[in-house]
Amino acid sequence: MNESSLKIMNKSFNILDKRRAALLQDERTINLKERVKKIRTNAVDHLFCLVEKAQENLQNNGIEVVLAKDANEACEAIYQLVKDEDIIAKSKSNTAGEIQLTEYLESKDVKVLETDLGDRIVQFDESHPTHPIGPACHLNMEKIAEIVSRKLQKDVQAEPRAILDSVKKDIMEKISHIKVGITGANAVAAEDGSLLMVHNEGNISLLTMMDTHIILVGIDKIVPTLEDAVSVVKLETIYATGKTVPAYMNVVSSPSKTADIEQILLKDMYGAKRVILILLDNGRTKAHEENKECLWCIGCGACIVNCPVYTTLGPEFGYLRHLGGRGIVLSKYIDNDEVCFDSGLYKCTLCGQCTNECPVEIPTNKMFEELRGKSVKKGLYTQEHLKIKNTIKKSRSPFGKENK
Amino acid sequence: MIYFRGCLSREKLKEIPQATEKLLEIANINYKILENEGCCGSVLLRTGFVEDALEVMQETYQDVKGEKVLVSCAGCYMTFKEDYPELLGKKVDVIHTSHLFWELLKKGKIEASQITEPVTYHDPCHLGRHMGEYETPRQVISSYAKILEMDSNRENSRCCGAGGGVRSAFPDLSCEIARLRLDDAVNTGAKRLVTCCPFCIHNLKTAQNSFRIREDFQDDDMDILDLSQFLLLGLNKEVEP
Repeated sequence: MNESSLKIMNKSFNILDKRRAALLQDERTINLKERVKKIRTNAVDHLFCLVEKAQENLQNNGIEVVLAKDANEACEAIYQLVKDEDIIAKSKSNTAGEIQLTEYLESKDVKVLETDLGDRIVQFDESHPTHPIGPACHLNMEKIAEIVSRKLQKDVQAEPRAILDSVKKDIMEKISHIKVGITGANAVAAEDGSLLMVHNEGNISLLTMMDTHIILVGIDKIVPTLEDAVSVVKLETIYATGKTVPAYMNVVSSPSKTADIEQILLKDMYGAKRVILILLDNGRTKAHEENKECLWCIGCGACIVNCPVYTTLGPEFGYLRHLGGRGIVLSKYIDNDEVCFDSGLYKCTLCGQCTNECPVEIPTNKMFEELRGKSVKKGLYTQEHLKIKNTIKKSRSPFGKENK
Repeated sequence: MIYFRGCLSREKLKEIPQATEKLLEIANINYKILENEGCCGSVLLRTGFVEDALEVMQETYQDVKGEKVLVSCAGCYMTFKEDYPELLGKKVDVIHTSHLFWELLKKGKIEASQITEPVTYHDPCHLGRHMGEYETPRQVISSYAKILEMDSNRENSRCCGAGGGVRSAFPDLSCEIARLRLDDAVNTGAKRLVTCCPFCIHNLKTAQNSFRIREDFQDDDMDILDLSQFLLLGLNKEVEP
């Protein structure tokens, strides 16, 4: 990433850091953090049992469930649902980024309208999102105005309200003709068969009202109950934005329905006719076998805000939309050892700051050490480290003194 | 007691063992230095060469077993203290120089006179975040000088950029991170940075030299010292040439 984008990103991160500081020390936050840590570790311990339970209860509620074992299966399943559409609307989803859904659909001539303002700007700019919740952290107002003006072919002033109005007007014109909305979910409640989505702009509410609502979510997002899910997303909001609650939490447990006429169940009132959940594995089962701690993640992005490497390199330290060290761990399981190596397995200083910042304390530096051990066994290491290894073996020192 | 200098102090930053040995002499402490001092294994462990690390650690364990071991390096400290028991099943009775210095000051075996210019302290990751040793080095410094804390300190301390083999494989990245840490130090207003790890010192100094020409950076006169060197200053002693 270029130096000016990095500077803007780090400035945004600093503002975020200051906004969160007092809230993170609040006793209520500390209690919530303890609760969520238990929820997440426990849910990951019982992951497969929860997946089964979620599937059953969601289906009983009228939600269609598709299990996708990898990115290709998920993309294809979604494509089959939307192939008759010219364009679909989408909310911000790191999981969609992980399976490169937009690229897949557009390669098959289904256009994707990003409805999150930050995501729409990044889509216009064709750059990489730099924070899971604030994807356009690396762009300043002048740059954004320039990008939006170019894309919408009109003169948009470098002023926040003018930018918002222009992007919103364009999205709202397009959205009125769109029949399919795709969102992620921040948490899935297995026992209730419910999906919980968090947003500030109101865009997800619009998408849930479309004829078809497709939700793409990793199996790691499942927790036992809706109460657990609310706890998780509250903590995520605090760590991601410095606010105690988001503007909106949508819970979807069924397609739109009514029983107001003699208790006769009728579907298709205002909201979606069909709600379809794509439950994605994509390496998570493998991750669960070897480093299940990386599945504790609640997606707040706190790990990258003070990471010495991420703040120096930007999103090239990470894997797709899984930014930073934890994303690199995940890349081994989603993709393979080579991709993990290329994503930055050897660029981490193992400083442990991310674990310190993480609300569920994912031990990323410990996982890195372990993965490096495995990587070396497969012959993947840096030439510099190999040289040092040989020098140490020969002379008991990395600097090669002659004393042996 | 064995004074295990560690590779970087032994071979490059010799001023650290010189200052440390001088302090040991002043305090009248019996110690020995291994004739063929080996490698603690840290570098190999952090870069994934686990089997080679284990061999090297076995060898080094033979040299230090049954003895008290004093180390200057935060990396050596963590490796002896945590990895030897965990990976070799062998306990090493290790202390870091900061522990020894604080003991000596507390017991009155050495006395430092007040230094008026304030300093800033950088927490090495291996000593601080990984081993929870935040206060001992600060107690040593605070007994005779004022510490101006950086915005990020203790468990939130920003890494110097040298760790995990990044310095050797990605020197530019490492140097850039060190520059950020130096920036933190410069912002305190202190003209002197004290820390407890040769790797941190080495990397911060590299950054200082690489970026000296930059207009937006004025840290030319930041003096980067190991705790042993700073303590020696407090004792008004110098290492004889």
